[in-house]
Amino acid sequence: MKQIKRAAAFTLALAMAIGMAACGDTKGSGKSGNQKTETVTTESGETVDVKVFSAFFAVPGNELDDNNVVQDAIAEKIGAKCDMTWLTGQTAEEAIGVMIAGGEYPDFVDASSGMANMVDAGAFIPIDTMWDEYPNIKNFYTEEQWNTIRAEDGHVYIIPQFGNIWDHDTTCVHNDEAFWMQTRVLKWAGYPEIKTLDEYFDVIERYIEANPTMEDGTPNIGYEILCDDWRYFCLENAPFFLDGYPNDGCCIVDRDTHKAIDYNTTPTAKRYFQKLNEEYKKGIIDPETFTMNYDTYISKLSTGRVCGMVDQHWDFNDGELAIKAAGLDDCTYVPVGIAIDADIEEHWHSNSALDVSNGVGITVSCEDPEGAMKFMNDLLDPEILTMRNWGLEGVNYNKGDDGVFTRTDEMRKNADDQAYINANLCPYAYFPNYSGMDHDGINGCDANHQATEFYESLSEPVKECFDAYGVKTYVELCNPAPENEPWFPMWSYSNALTTDTPEGQVWADMASVKHEYLPKVCIADDFDAAWEEYLSVYKEKCDVDGILLPAFDAEIQRRIDIAEGK
Amino acid sequence: MAELTKTAPASGMENKSPSKGVGANTKHGIMSRRTKGDIIFDTLNTIFMIIFTITILYPLLNMVAVSFNDGLDALKGGITLVPRVFTLKNYETVLGKQNMFTAARVSVLRTVIGTVSSTMVTALLAYILSRKEFLFKKQLSLLYVITMYVNGGLIPVFLVYKNLGLTNSFLVYVLPGLVPAFSMLVLRTYMNGLPDSLAESAMMDGAGHLTIFIKIIFPLCMPVIATVALFTAVGQWNSWFDAMLYNRMNGDLTTLQYELMKLLSSVTNQNSSADTMKNTQATVTPTSIRAAATVITSLPIIILYPFLQRYFVAGLTIGGVKE
Amino acid sequence: MFRDPDFGKKLKNQKSLLLLSIPFVVYVLIFNYVPLFGWIMAFQRYKPRDGLFHSEFIGLENFKFLFRNSDFIMDVRNTLAMGVINLVLGTICPIVFAILLSELRFNLGKRVVQTISYLPHFLSMIILTGIAFDVLSMENGTINNLLLGLGLVDKPVQWLAEPKYFWWIVAFAQRWKETGWDSIIYLAAITSINPDLYEAASIDGAGRLRRIWHITLPGLKPTILILLIMNVGNVLNVGFELQYLLGNDLVRSVSETIDIYVLNYGIGKGNYAIGTAAGIFKSVVSIILIVIANTTAKAMGEESLY
Repeated sequence: MKQIKRAAAFTLALAMAIGMAACGDTKGSGKSGNQKTETVTTESGETVDVKVFSAFFAVPGNELDDNNVVQDAIAEKIGAKCDMTWLTGQTAEEAIGVMIAGGEYPDFVDASSGMANMVDAGAFIPIDTMWDEYPNIKNFYTEEQWNTIRAEDGHVYIIPQFGNIWDHDTTCVHNDEAFWMQTRVLKWAGYPEIKTLDEYFDVIERYIEANPTMEDGTPNIGYEILCDDWRYFCLENAPFFLDGYPNDGCCIVDRDTHKAIDYNTTPTAKRYFQKLNEEYKKGIIDPETFTMNYDTYISKLSTGRVCGMVDQHWDFNDGELAIKAAGLDDCTYVPVGIAIDADIEEHWHSNSALDVSNGVGITVSCEDPEGAMKFMNDLLDPEILTMRNWGLEGVNYNKGDDGVFTRTDEMRKNADDQAYINANLCPYAYFPNYSGMDHDGINGCDANHQATEFYESLSEPVKECFDAYGVKTYVELCNPAPENEPWFPMWSYSNALTTDTPEGQVWADMASVKHEYLPKVCIADDFDAAWEEYLSVYKEKCDVDGILLPAFDAEIQRRIDIAEGK
Repeated sequence: MAELTKTAPASGMENKSPSKGVGANTKHGIMSRRTKGDIIFDTLNTIFMIIFTITILYPLLNMVAVSFNDGLDALKGGITLVPRVFTLKNYETVLGKQNMFTAARVSVLRTVIGTVSSTMVTALLAYILSRKEFLFKKQLSLLYVITMYVNGGLIPVFLVYKNLGLTNSFLVYVLPGLVPAFSMLVLRTYMNGLPDSLAESAMMDGAGHLTIFIKIIFPLCMPVIATVALFTAVGQWNSWFDAMLYNRMNGDLTTLQYELMKLLSSVTNQNSSADTMKNTQATVTPTSIRAAATVITSLPIIILYPFLQRYFVAGLTIGGVKE
Repeated sequence: MFRDPDFGKKLKNQKSLLLLSIPFVVYVLIFNYVPLFGWIMAFQRYKPRDGLFHSEFIGLENFKFLFRNSDFIMDVRNTLAMGVINLVLGTICPIVFAILLSELRFNLGKRVVQTISYLPHFLSMIILTGIAFDVLSMENGTINNLLLGLGLVDKPVQWLAEPKYFWWIVAFAQRWKETGWDSIIYLAAITSINPDLYEAASIDGAGRLRRIWHITLPGLKPTILILLIMNVGNVLNVGFELQYLLGNDLVRSVSETIDIYVLNYGIGKGNYAIGTAAGIFKSVVSIILIVIANTTAKAMGEESLY
């Protein structure tokens, strides 16, 4: 017996020792030794050694094959490449949380929503102490822009990769949120000018009445509202757009007083939900709309029977691809820029904005920070940018005598083929990149920003619709986007809220109440009673005025101050 | 030792009437005189089984059809048992991943090594705990039972494994799940039902516990060993979280399921923004890829199963001979 | 036992058993108990930067937060309800299925049905919910078509919009997926029941149902009991995937489970401490339930876990 006890005690001690060892080692330092290298065979058959960096991006992404053609071509030019891994089956916070606990990182990390924790944990090295020798990085943003990116200690740890426009914005598509409508509906109605929510639903109502089914007999659906988990923005955030404000995401910001306004309880919100309620009762809105998940939603859109909905274009892109694949070209969607009243100027389209809350950084585990800086710097070289965004000349695009890039049908097809992309193309999508124009001043930054390429891809019904409205791109169907305000976009703040803080808690409670009550409001027999119930629960559970709005106000002011250089 | 009282055996094996040619076949072979009740029972039972099979099979065949159908076309719905737009693209995408071969090899290795070692070791623990004279059987059992309901959480577990040197190592696929409490309980329950006389007579002959376990008990437990091994093998084959968590940066230790997960999350644009869409133009869809992946990963187990099924029956025959 | 005449010999045997068991003790402590130091987190305002050993201790604050939160209480109720339904059906269905299958007269049919029955186990929850949506759809959903065809309803039922159906839909989906798989263990147990017993009963003139009642079921009893006790402890572990994927805002009041709560409030918002506290709550409840079930089984002189 005693032996047993002793053995047990010993085991316990051993176990504790392991546990203790576990805690002492949270600040792991990089392994010693040189930067990993790899041999790449060039086109001419020579072999060169290149540095190999590692990167983890806490978003879902697409892994490249080894020996990816463009990746190797870039490596040959700049003497370095980067193996990238992406988020799989975990939340970003979990993945980053484990990395921080273990104290070992890849050379580059974009922590996505785990960013605050990464910076907090001291996992990044400051970039601004090294960037004097790397002008492409230093000049990637203006001094004012860098100031908005600086951490509290004044250093720059991350480089936001996206939304940096070279020259001018050349995007032809409205990839953002809008009330969408099928071109067949607009055509049937004689391409009317649609200015308000009432007019929008009026067109759909009349269309459904006249055309209850599609040609093959499938019943048409007037309107869908997706409200699956975080995608419920399709239900809830239209009110601020309808009031003519841009996509700040979490609130309306008064342009004069710089104060945040809660859009969930405004008169416009009430009118919007009342309209939905009426349309639901009329049978214009799909009765299954509140029970379907994202997959079902995409499937329904794919049949081409859904006349309209509010959504972000990237969210229903898959459905639209399927519509095109089925040859139902008159069932694709165009944005309809509407507001609650005709005299309000809508603001659905925004210029791309600098999202300072996310970016890629070099970690403390990186053994060759200078090399890592050089790698990012080289990736911003004009020649390399073209390789990242377009591919190889003669293979992925052709260059005319006038310098304009064009693609053959086969090149276009390849660019849509995932297996081809994995084996051949390497956009290094989560490293800093420019949008807008290519550095040659002639071409768009990539095929999606190239006007000639864009027109090639339009179907006849869309062209006809564009002609009727006198526009050439999707973007022009909405009002032109004015200059972004210094606080825009506020969602970069609300996305980073955690339940640790009172405002984060209110933010979470708000979502919970809205998830539960807004669908009820839409299907209620007695709208006014349901709306009152929503308001009373909302006011009781979430102290928006007392806690959340002041927090927003402070952030708005902070951003204005930074922009003004205070 | 025959004077010791035994607890109620799990099986009917205490009935020592000589069993000849025992097997599932004989069980019904003897029932030649079917009564009216038997006929009604059999008819109803057969009808039930047919309905049950259709209920199960139809959605599965539908999934197979989807896996051979063009992804975007499948989104339109309406596919039943035959693909509408036939394509092998989904399978090409899944199997065309570059390190699929490495991943499949690791998966097979971990399944084989993990299952064999886990089953042997767990059976040994079950044997120890099934010894009625063992003083600490209650405490040790409890220690394992609790593990089914407590969990330190992702990060603490990670830290412990890291300090044990299990990260970036094949061992992390084998060691942490070596002794599943569930399997132990199932095995122990079965062993409790075996006649004590078997072990006791061997012990009289001077055999040690290890010898008794390997030579007598283990072979007797074949039906339940096969069951437990099947559970473990499926668990090993299907798991991907450990590959991601502990061996993320080591491509040589990736597993099939992890590669499939990666493929899936690259086509599922969760939390995607306009910018991430850039590098993920879908020609296959998550739905079609998932269907193909499900077919591919279930196949080995479907093929393996009939062999294991044999053991459920054969186990007793061997037991009978030994006895 | 200790008064056994062979006590000396037993002690010697005991020694080798003890030696054999030591690695198992070491193993379980290291792999399963050492990580429990992570539970400290539940009593802290945990920050990844500070780690477990430097975060601020706040006592039972996290637990208080949970139990003051009406959403959490609601989720405990839902979890319990679905857990109990799952426990009952998850025990009965596989047993009934295993018995019926073993009574099937054609051997080939038996094997084919069994092989097919466990296939749904390999489907991911996402595929499962896809199937459920198809079957329950208002437009051409199999069930609505069937009910309309039989004249039982006059317009399609919106199955997923009604809170009262939700728990049963989840239960049914789970049974569809797992009944075949769960029955494997019972089938293995049935094959080890001595056929001679059936023969004897048959000669005594016992009908099929009586043979099942008097021979098969008693033969399965130890297996049933062990699994039952074990599953009693799992009542709160109903998971989140199925409820999360099948649920929607209209049935939120019945579809949210503790795990979904943790996902929304804990991990989704980076609050590990709350997640850990909820995990501890679940573990404690599980262990209490197990102890009760085990003690009851023991008191009745039946097979027990420990």
